[in-house]
Amino acid sequence: MSIKFADINVGDSMLPYTSLPITRTDIVRYAGASGDFNPLHHDNTFVQTIGMERVIAHGMLIMGIAGQAVTTWIDNKNLRKFNVRFTAMTEPADLNDWDNTKQRATITITGKVTHKFEENGEKKIRCDIVAKDALGGTKLLGFFIAALP
Amino acid sequence: MADKSKLGYEFPSHLLDVEKGKIAEFAMAVTQTEAPNPIYTDETSAREAGYPGIVIPPTFPTSLMFRTGGGLMGVVNALGIDLGRLLHAEEEYEYFGSVCAGDVIMGRMKVVDMFEKGRKARPDQLMEFTVLETEMRNQRGELVIKARSILVER
Repeated sequence: MSIKFADINVGDSMLPYTSLPITRTDIVRYAGASGDFNPLHHDNTFVQTIGMERVIAHGMLIMGIAGQAVTTWIDNKNLRKFNVRFTAMTEPADLNDWDNTKQRATITITGKVTHKFEENGEKKIRCDIVAKDALGGTKLLGFFIAALP
Repeated sequence: MADKSKLGYEFPSHLLDVEKGKIAEFAMAVTQTEAPNPIYTDETSAREAGYPGIVIPPTFPTSLMFRTGGGLMGVVNALGIDLGRLLHAEEEYEYFGSVCAGDVIMGRMKVVDMFEKGRKARPDQLMEFTVLETEMRNQRGELVIKARSILVER
């Protein structure tokens, strides 16, 4: 699957992508993989000292999920720029209250192509993306630029 | 509160080995699966897909960046940031070339901006922003990635 520049039009939607409900185990795994050991993401005794109820996922885990969404649609090697702004925190699902908490931790990435242009001899698209949880809360807004064949 | 005298500060540059196991671990973490796209785990599949080798996922540079500054705690301590107020506001990557397993990346991170902004709802309450830029060059001296991170103390 390699998307061609000629096949994309402004206004086209990116293939949507939905994560599994993010658990504390996913967060710990991401901490180890990325090296970001801010205790905000795994240590309940720390989050209580700053007045929060529970740990939150790394913004970069949500961006990582968005990156997976983007590269499910376009090839990794075609990506030229990837930008996100974090708009809300993401709390993990609770294993002892799964049905009531999984929605807040399930992230869907959607996107829309906003520009087609040529730059440095490459044919590029710009696509706006948004990540939302299953309750409709926006987690990040961003865009990517890709050079397509 | 971030130490404003650190504006322009450049962290000591750091050499980072891009390890195959670390790429696979990262790909598994962001895909929440044991079997991510084989371009992240298998050399043959990556070459067949047109990459010089096992390639990094788009946001993998975040791990290179944090190691450049001595980990998150290293960055926070060096800049005098209050960990209890710290949040990540924005992140951007520009990709100039592929980064693959076996590459050795030189990361140079710099504090390029520090500013304050009032909250939307409470303009008298200031939030402090720190902007970090990291240039990553490979063993051939080629600029492969530029990362820009905006941290906020709320």
